[in-house]
Amino acid sequence: MTKPRVRVPRTARKGEVMEIKTLISHPMETGYRRDVQGRLMPRHIIHTFTCTYNGEQVFRADWHPAVAANPYLAFYTVATESGSLRFEWIDDTGTVYTTEAEITVV
Amino acid sequence: MALTRRQLLGLVGSVPLTVVYGRRAWTQTAGRVVVVGGGFGGATCAKYLRRADATLDVTLVEPYHQFVTCPFSNAVLVGLRDLASVTHGYDALRQRYGVRVVHATATALDPTARRVTLDNGSTLAYDRLVLAPGIELQWGAIESYDAAASEVFPHAWLAGPQTLLLRYQLEAMEDGGLVVISAPDNPYRCPPGPYERASLIAHYLKTHKPRSKLLLLDAKDTFTKQELFRTAWQRLYPGLLEWVPGSQSGRVVRVNASAGTVSTAFEEYKPAVANIIPPQRAAAIARAAGLDDGRGWCRVQARTFESTVHAGIHLIGDAIIASPMPKSAFSANTQAKVCAAALVALLRGAQVPEPVLMNTCYSLVAPDYGISIAGVYRVVDDNITAVAGSEGVSPLDAPDEIRSLEAAYARSWYSNITADVFA
Amino acid sequence: MKSSTPRDVSWLSRRTLLRRLGTTSVLVALWPASAWTTPEAVQQAIRQRIGDRTPQPDGMTLRLPPIAETGNAVPLTVAVDSAMTPDDHVLRIHVFVEGNPEPVAATYHLGVRAGKAEISTQIRLARSQTVLALAEMHDGAVRSATADIVVTLGACVEEIWSN
Repeated sequence: MTKPRVRVPRTARKGEVMEIKTLISHPMETGYRRDVQGRLMPRHIIHTFTCTYNGEQVFRADWHPAVAANPYLAFYTVATESGSLRFEWIDDTGTVYTTEAEITVV
Repeated sequence: MALTRRQLLGLVGSVPLTVVYGRRAWTQTAGRVVVVGGGFGGATCAKYLRRADATLDVTLVEPYHQFVTCPFSNAVLVGLRDLASVTHGYDALRQRYGVRVVHATATALDPTARRVTLDNGSTLAYDRLVLAPGIELQWGAIESYDAAASEVFPHAWLAGPQTLLLRYQLEAMEDGGLVVISAPDNPYRCPPGPYERASLIAHYLKTHKPRSKLLLLDAKDTFTKQELFRTAWQRLYPGLLEWVPGSQSGRVVRVNASAGTVSTAFEEYKPAVANIIPPQRAAAIARAAGLDDGRGWCRVQARTFESTVHAGIHLIGDAIIASPMPKSAFSANTQAKVCAAALVALLRGAQVPEPVLMNTCYSLVAPDYGISIAGVYRVVDDNITAVAGSEGVSPLDAPDEIRSLEAAYARSWYSNITADVFA
Repeated sequence: MKSSTPRDVSWLSRRTLLRRLGTTSVLVALWPASAWTTPEAVQQAIRQRIGDRTPQPDGMTLRLPPIAETGNAVPLTVAVDSAMTPDDHVLRIHVFVEGNPEPVAATYHLGVRAGKAEISTQIRLARSQTVLALAEMHDGAVRSATADIVVTLGACVEEIWSN
């Protein structure tokens, strides 16, 4: 499984609203599809995505099977201080995928 | 005593195609057939109708006076051929086969009155209508990619001036530049086309501008002959050609022609040259009168290619969904022959012959490296179905001599099919 | 979209039903025919989130392409017109997909730290439908936006050709 990708500005001015883009490889299996033998393939999706900024959660998404495979998500957050943003994706098996990005806020 | 036509047919077997002799049939067939679109589908159909039955009144409606083929236009793009070599005319259709060729655009249909309206103000009455108008590009499907933007970022998915435009841009590009190709989601004209184009442009860059890069941004995660292409790319163009699949945000969602940018969801690129192949649909006339059910492509009955929506109208070529047949020149040509044979039978009140359809898609990975995929189809339970065991792709581990032979076969196929259609 | 009297979200089910009767629905292999959500389930999912508040169809946009060849990865952007200050901000955005087996696609939790109430993502759509977004504002108001989309069957079921 490739590491999730995020696009975060390396630097920003304090108070600036910045766009964050995220992309993760994941089948997001809906639980409604059948395999070639006709058996129902079990649901296996990422159900929660969070963005934590220097330890404080600034964004969360609750996902259901209607979110497309290899989920792409772009959202905004305010550049408040230098530090790190931590991104977490949690799927039905309890697996947590994470990545981090550093930001310098001037 | 000379053989009757029936005896001759008996000798050559029940081939459901044309009769060699252009003689008058023993049964006189009245019939006016109008064919819209003078490409691989329409021109073949018009010619084969006249070959089968010289009493048929066949009119071909085609806006352009010459036809520039998409097959081998990729070779023109990279200077391996000139545009004239892929340009064909309608003289033979007129003079040798007696097709009436009208250079106009069909703008409206009346399926009940059986009339086609042309943009020159006239109408044509028909007993049977064949629509083979090909595709149109969906402007706006990629945000801000419209006709004006295509003058900056050519699609070259309709051969002709666009082919030359993209060629000039590649020639003018400095060494070290970034070339971007955007490949759309299925279905679209010529499934392997974007990958052949990427291959030949990569070859051109490697030869002439080796510090350049080519990024193939794909809406899809899989494509036809994928293993063959990727293996060849790894060997021939390592570090030069990179394919970005849809799942890695390869789908192009937006362009900005004035800023010169091409964007996926995740990234924005500023290429020196961009070839945007946008989503497509059947050309407008094939979507007139509800022929496509609002879905963008037309569906037909497998034996006759008659529309499932309006009786008396047949559709062939890129405008239809004929799965598992791909949208290709070869498919259009073979469908046209089956359609022509069916039409002749229908106009005579005779039984429609059993169709055999086939397709081969050749792709050049380099000028001397060809690969192919082929299939034969029959109609089973009103569906076009691949004949088991008939499908194949070039072997993954073939030696260079075989690749070279396949490239020669590709060139030879092109000569043959264009002669079949236009000579 | 008409706004309705309090306690009545039947505006959605009425529109949904009208849409169902008028649309040529095409099944995508992803979703079996038995699994469509019902207008009642959609209503319940909405009520669970916004109670008996009445959404106002202003100050919010939902962008979808009007036609999608396949429903597998349809780009969606939802934006709420809000300064995102302590006095005026979005708490949550919900996306509903009434033509899918489950009525809710996602919920996004924003707040003042978001700075801008705009989300872009890709959703899966089983068939042609009306997608609905609801935004819960900090003061309890609810805004709504809808977008209609036609999903055609991406009929390049050309197994060998697309593989």
